[in-house]
Amino acid sequence: MTAVAVEEGLAVQDLHVRYGDVHAVRGVSFSVAPGETLALVGESGCGKSSTALAIARLLPAGAGIEGRAEVEGFDLATARGRQLREARGRIVAYMPQDAMAALNPVQSAGRQIAEVLSFRRDASRSEAAAGAVRLLDEVGIQDPNTVAHRYAHQLSGGMRQRVMLAIALAGRPRVLIADEPTTALDVTVQAGILALVRALVIEDRMALVWITHDIGVVAEVADSVAVMYGGRIVEQGPVQTIFEQPSHPYTRALVSSPRQSRFAAPKAPFDAIPGSPPVGAFPGGCPFHPRCPVALPRCSSAMPETTTVAPLHTAACHQLGGSS
Amino acid sequence: MARYLGTRLGLGVLTVFCVVLLTFVLMFVVPGDPARTIAGPRATPQVLALVRSNLHLNQSVVAQLGNYVVGMLHGDLGVSYVQDQPVTSLIMGRLPATIELGLAGLFLELVLGGTLGVWDGLRTRRSRALAVVNVGFLSVPTFSLAFLLLLLFGYELNLFPIDGGTGGTRIVLPALTLGLFGMPYYANVVRDAMQETLAAPYTRTAVAKGLPRSQVLRRHVLRNALSPALTMAGLDFAILLSGVVFVETVFGWPGIGQLQTQAFYNVDRPVLMGTVVVAAILVVVATLAIDLLRMLIDPRTRLATR
Repeated sequence: MTAVAVEEGLAVQDLHVRYGDVHAVRGVSFSVAPGETLALVGESGCGKSSTALAIARLLPAGAGIEGRAEVEGFDLATARGRQLREARGRIVAYMPQDAMAALNPVQSAGRQIAEVLSFRRDASRSEAAAGAVRLLDEVGIQDPNTVAHRYAHQLSGGMRQRVMLAIALAGRPRVLIADEPTTALDVTVQAGILALVRALVIEDRMALVWITHDIGVVAEVADSVAVMYGGRIVEQGPVQTIFEQPSHPYTRALVSSPRQSRFAAPKAPFDAIPGSPPVGAFPGGCPFHPRCPVALPRCSSAMPETTTVAPLHTAACHQLGGSS
Repeated sequence: MARYLGTRLGLGVLTVFCVVLLTFVLMFVVPGDPARTIAGPRATPQVLALVRSNLHLNQSVVAQLGNYVVGMLHGDLGVSYVQDQPVTSLIMGRLPATIELGLAGLFLELVLGGTLGVWDGLRTRRSRALAVVNVGFLSVPTFSLAFLLLLLFGYELNLFPIDGGTGGTRIVLPALTLGLFGMPYYANVVRDAMQETLAAPYTRTAVAKGLPRSQVLRRHVLRNALSPALTMAGLDFAILLSGVVFVETVFGWPGIGQLQTQAFYNVDRPVLMGTVVVAAILVVVATLAIDLLRMLIDPRTRLATR
């Protein structure tokens, strides 16, 4: 591969996303080194997908972004026009959850991959087609020559997601944003794709942000974890630390929710977090306080500051004795 | 594929037969006696009887229907009561003019409606502009539109000859009438499809690839957005081909529609029947052609080939 002087990966700083009056992402900061995977975890409505779309710059028209999302000195959050277009696919690529809807129904899989190659690399039609077949092979498709001529509706869910991955990889991006791409897949197919993405990320030295609500996936894919709640990151740290020494009450509840439930529904009721996450309007103070089992009086009035629990491990909770 | 085509053709034949049956029955239900039309109002009963037996009108309805269907299968649609010519040659003589006008009308409909629909679908700021244009054109009946164009461009401005017949620029006004009449329907269908396609996840995928906007639109948006308009155009084409009675009459365009009008006034049953049968056949064929064309464009409608 090409030698890059300084490999920085992705650095997100104080990112905000607003949909009109709804402040969906409220100051999110994290960084991912090249070849590393950050899992962005949280329930529906916590702002994880808005964060993902903001970094990939695919938010719907009318949504506002503030803050920075830098990749090797290039700020994705503020890029515009031609600069932004040049960055798409090359600096940042995006893998969506629903591959069926994300593939053009009237174009063959091969053409949709080749399109990136002919545009990005000035490849001729036949070169691009051959490149598409190579990419399909790279993402672990058994018969890439045949699959290249297939349309989305003729492929299985796992194959469609592999095609999406090939499209994302075609521009050789520095950052890959994966927005729950395996949620709709069978567990075995999911495991195969997780392993594949993991290997490719290390091989290509990409920074991977994997969005998920599935704590089991986190254990399989991530180097580090950022837990989101109410538009904020409430805890962040290396994957082992998060699982073994969670310091935020919300993280503790998440990691103790039974991971085996995907294989067999538990007969005994497990510890569900009471209540549901806030959507749209957030409560004052710590957003988790209405559901928090250990909430203090000041949790409802003051937003806890992010404090360093241990090196690389931060959390935002008044229980941790933050200064404010 | 062969089986699919066989089924479709079989159904098509059945459809045409049903149309023949229905029209035939209608011909006997509607008032008007062809024998009297031919023989004149002062004809004696003997003359009327002679005319009836010459035209086989004294046979039972079932026998007449049987004769008609047998003739039809041999490409014989009978002889006009009025013009003393085979119906098939009358229709064939009119078909080129109708096809010419039909194609021109369809082209204008698609271009005007498609452009308006794409334009409105691409605008990010919503306004009622398209709605105003649409409601405007939808509320104007074809006949007033035809006369308006005729008066303004033909008579006042003298831009186009209005002496009837084909050739030269005579096609412009009737085609424009058809085009403006169909425009709002296409504009609506295309606009809705544009909005849906622009918001589709696959369009977002195309944007995420970093493609220029023109390429996103051309390769990913338009092709998907124009497919419903195509389906509509197929049916429209069949209708236009079977003659647009009113427009052809107003502009004196010698097509099948005009033939039909004359046949109607003359109680010329064979010609009237013939135009209806030809229209039915055209609709069946055009529908099949459109379905095949759609298979070419949209792989999802292709049959599973194993």
